[in-house]
Amino acid sequence: MDYTMEDTQNSAPDVQDSKLDSSSQRNDTQSVTKRLQAELMQLMLSPSPGLSAFPNADGNLLSWTATITGPTETPYEGLTLKLSFAFPNNYPYSPPTVLFKTPIYHPNVDFSGRICLDILKDKWSAVYNVQSVLLSLQSLLGEPNNASPLNAQAAELWESDQEEYKRLVLARHRDVEDVE
Amino acid sequence: MLSTSPIAVGRSRILSSVFSRASGDISSPAAWALGLESLGQSSRPVDPHSHRPSNRPSDTSTIDDSLLDQEKWDNAWNIVTAFLSLPDPGFEAIIASGGTNEAEFLKKWGCHDPTPDGIQEAVAYLVAPLSRHGWLRPDKGTPNILTWYEFEMRRHFLKNFRDGLLKLLSYSEEDHQLQKIVHCLQLARHIYVSPLGNHIFPVLSNSEQKAALAKLQRGFHMMVSYVLPWLEISAMMYREITEDTMVILGLDALNEENKYYDSDDGSMDLDLQYTVSYRRWKKEPSAEGRKQLMEEPETGRAAEARNRLLTLFNGLQLVGLGGDKAQKIFATVMNAMLTEFVRAAYSGHWKTPSLAVQHLNYWIENVFAQLVVQVLAIINAPESDESDERSTDHLDVELSDLKKWQEIGVARLGELRTSELFSIIVEWPASSGAIEELRHFTLHPAARYYLTHTFINILNNRLLHPGASTSEILQLYISIIRAFNLLDPRGVLLDRIARPIRRYLRDRDDTVKVIVSGLLADPVDDEQQGRSSGDVLVELSTELTKTHQRALHSNTGELDWDDMHWTPDPVDAAPDYRKPKNSDVIGSVISLFESKETFVKEMQNMLADRLLQNRGDFDQEMSVLELLKLRFGDTVLQACEVMLRDIFDSKRVDAIIRHDHGLSGKRATPRRPTTPGKAPQPSKDVPELHAKILSHFFWPEIQGHEFKVPGDISKLQQRYADGFESLKQSRKLTWLNGLGQATVELDLEDRVFVDEVTTWQATVIYAFQSSSSEEVTKSITQLSEELNMNPPIVRSACLFWVSKRILTEVERDTFRVLEVLPTDEGDHAGGAGMDETGGASTETANEAAAAADAAAAAAAKESAEAAAMEKMNLHWQFIVGMLTNQGAMPLQQIVMMLKIAVPGGFPFSNEELREFLAGMVAKGKLEIVSGGSYKIVQ
Repeated sequence: MDYTMEDTQNSAPDVQDSKLDSSSQRNDTQSVTKRLQAELMQLMLSPSPGLSAFPNADGNLLSWTATITGPTETPYEGLTLKLSFAFPNNYPYSPPTVLFKTPIYHPNVDFSGRICLDILKDKWSAVYNVQSVLLSLQSLLGEPNNASPLNAQAAELWESDQEEYKRLVLARHRDVEDVE
Repeated sequence: MLSTSPIAVGRSRILSSVFSRASGDISSPAAWALGLESLGQSSRPVDPHSHRPSNRPSDTSTIDDSLLDQEKWDNAWNIVTAFLSLPDPGFEAIIASGGTNEAEFLKKWGCHDPTPDGIQEAVAYLVAPLSRHGWLRPDKGTPNILTWYEFEMRRHFLKNFRDGLLKLLSYSEEDHQLQKIVHCLQLARHIYVSPLGNHIFPVLSNSEQKAALAKLQRGFHMMVSYVLPWLEISAMMYREITEDTMVILGLDALNEENKYYDSDDGSMDLDLQYTVSYRRWKKEPSAEGRKQLMEEPETGRAAEARNRLLTLFNGLQLVGLGGDKAQKIFATVMNAMLTEFVRAAYSGHWKTPSLAVQHLNYWIENVFAQLVVQVLAIINAPESDESDERSTDHLDVELSDLKKWQEIGVARLGELRTSELFSIIVEWPASSGAIEELRHFTLHPAARYYLTHTFINILNNRLLHPGASTSEILQLYISIIRAFNLLDPRGVLLDRIARPIRRYLRDRDDTVKVIVSGLLADPVDDEQQGRSSGDVLVELSTELTKTHQRALHSNTGELDWDDMHWTPDPVDAAPDYRKPKNSDVIGSVISLFESKETFVKEMQNMLADRLLQNRGDFDQEMSVLELLKLRFGDTVLQACEVMLRDIFDSKRVDAIIRHDHGLSGKRATPRRPTTPGKAPQPSKDVPELHAKILSHFFWPEIQGHEFKVPGDISKLQQRYADGFESLKQSRKLTWLNGLGQATVELDLEDRVFVDEVTTWQATVIYAFQSSSSEEVTKSITQLSEELNMNPPIVRSACLFWVSKRILTEVERDTFRVLEVLPTDEGDHAGGAGMDETGGASTETANEAAAAADAAAAAAAKESAEAAAMEKMNLHWQFIVGMLTNQGAMPLQQIVMMLKIAVPGGFPFSNEELREFLAGMVAKGKLEIVSGGSYKIVQ
């Protein structure tokens, strides 16, 4: 009486269908899409302040744009930072590729927007999601990891001269609309 | 009678002319012929009756014959041909009469003049050389009296019979026309054969006689088939054979009986000694009796028909219309009869136990085969006696044929049942006999395929369309599951049939609802109300209890080696076929949905509704839940379990709190509203408050109106909440005022009203309370503000009270308490200051009740709209996310993205969204930028 068994009547036709008209890759894409849809739903139902993300208009849900508002009491306070998310086909087993679209002056971000963050690289785990990545990034803004900087000058300034640091942050910042 | 005299006259003229010449002028034609002979032309006398162009008697045979022989030959020839030539006129009448007075005619025909002298010798003379030379060889060119006779016969037939026969044929609609034709042909045959037998055969040897007869017969048959177009004859033959076989096989009686039963199905005693009725057969208790029933002597009608048919076949055989062709037609007829019989005898007889197959086999063996044997004996009769020895050990119908027919019969029965299957399923379980019969049929993969294929088509046409309600479909699906489990215990057929149904059911929105409400329905209740409740599938709950008991036994499934009912997979099962574990009714129904969540969610909603009712016990819900847990597992139904426990716990908690805080009133009115419980009583003692405490996390979203409860009640609520919080330290009580029941007691001037109503209705009437005896008048707007309640709900509540004749609507949206009932219809004008609206006759009360319903519906609609709005709020989150991240977007693109991004799709139209966004623009949350795009206001 264990209900966990798959019901053959239900599953059989579907299995056949997918075998007929699609490759295994499409199956992957389907599950990725499903997962991303669920993540989006979660973001919408329980939004975190200062964070938001939404799929791009290309319609396949595999690329998103996210927006982080700079946390208070950091040099980034009040700034709007845009990021791009590109999800691989085997998401969530591989991390998404995340880039800052907004030019940002930060020790762990290089000038083309690449981010050095362990959970986006080797520490990635399938339990992370868009929201947790965005939260990590948000906290990274206030607490840069100066041990492995991509922008050495920024790392140095962060330690030595917060004033100058903030000036450079604001100097570098552009709203994405202006950039484009 | 009229016809005899012209015949007689005609005949005497013919005879005198022919025979006088034959006897008197014997020399002259011979001399004339001699003369001709000398001229080197044909020596054959020109016979006025003969059309033969090239019968020159002496061309070759005169090589060694003398002239004298020739003359003698010619003489003899003349005598014989003149004698044997057939008189022409006089046949139309006999044909027209269809050969009825044939005997008389034959008598006349036979009694013509005594054989003239010398005929015998002349025949002998003519025949002798033929037999010497082997006269049967046609290429010899010898003048042959037999050949001549054949030509004569042909000429005569064409001239005299052809038109008449064709005429008969053209009246093909009439009964027994074929019989007439056959009669005429037989007559003709008789006419042609008898002179031969009388005059020529005596001089021939035995074997020669046979050969000559056979030759003549062949000629005759050829002629007949030439004259009568086979197409028409065959159609006619088909019809006549059908008619008779219908009677012989008992089909007409069967049809009549059916008609009888159709007209009035009371008990009856049809006066049929002999019947093949399946009804009778089934009624007969013993096998012996059944056998006798079938072997009883047939009725006079049937016997008569049988005689007629056999005679007909005899005749057909004789005149050359029998043989293979007739056999083909006969076979076609019998084929049709078999189908017809199966239809007439068994359609609609679905009761168990089924004896139909047995009955059919008996019928085929004893009735059907009997006729076939009789007919085939005639048709296959050897044309000549030589094959006698062969025919004795050759059987027309062998046992294997019989077996084959029985198989065909069963197949036909299967076909019938397949076509009836839908109705059979509808009638289930009264129709289980039919399913038993189908088991005999579904032995071959082709038959099984036919069954499923046909049935799916029927289902698509008759069931799986918007006209059928979901509970009907489910009901039928349940019957299908039961029926097919009987038909094919391994479930292969069911698997095929169920797919389209399941697919269709999954598409229906209310399927889950129907299933869950069916599961939760109370079977006992239903039996009391009769089975007509329709919408609720009580069957499911009955089944749930039942299968549980069964499931306890057969848990081991495939590995149960003691299972005596085990059957192997049928032939057409796929190699990897595996009987679905949940193939019983409940299993199939609850596995309709891919995820259990859909089901559990609906279950929660339904359970919530039921648990919030003011009832003493929830045993039914408990047992259903326990049974479902066996199937789904504990974890899935955890929420439901918590819900149930909440209810039981709150009973206990309620008692404790009330005891501890002295909330128990003096009056023992049972009142147990949901979380908020209150009993607004305009006077006297403190109302009693009972609460149901729900664990918010485990209960589904509950829609309830929010409003301000009367002060007394909210004070009570406060005390109750305090009591609860001291009892359960970390938990907090939130009151849902919109749910629950209240018992109100309204003390009016002339009456006291006590009833249990909803909390919001109670609240509204409480607002009308006043200590003075003055009648309180309030408007909807007033009430709505005072109670913080939605106006439609207020209106609904007021109208409810109007229907109870507590309030009256003095003017639109303004109500007043009806302290004193108007005396009656008669003098309502003089009543307690009633105006027209307050006429308060029964009719107005009814109207008010209807209005209250309408208002309640409006209120429900409003709350539905609120829910829709809530949904829209979710979409608003999406829109905000979209516009924040993707920048400004035009409406079209927003809709498109929502359709992609929102799980389950975006249910609103462009217009609705435009309206909604316009609202947001008005609220200053959005702005419209260049090109009509919407942009988030930062």
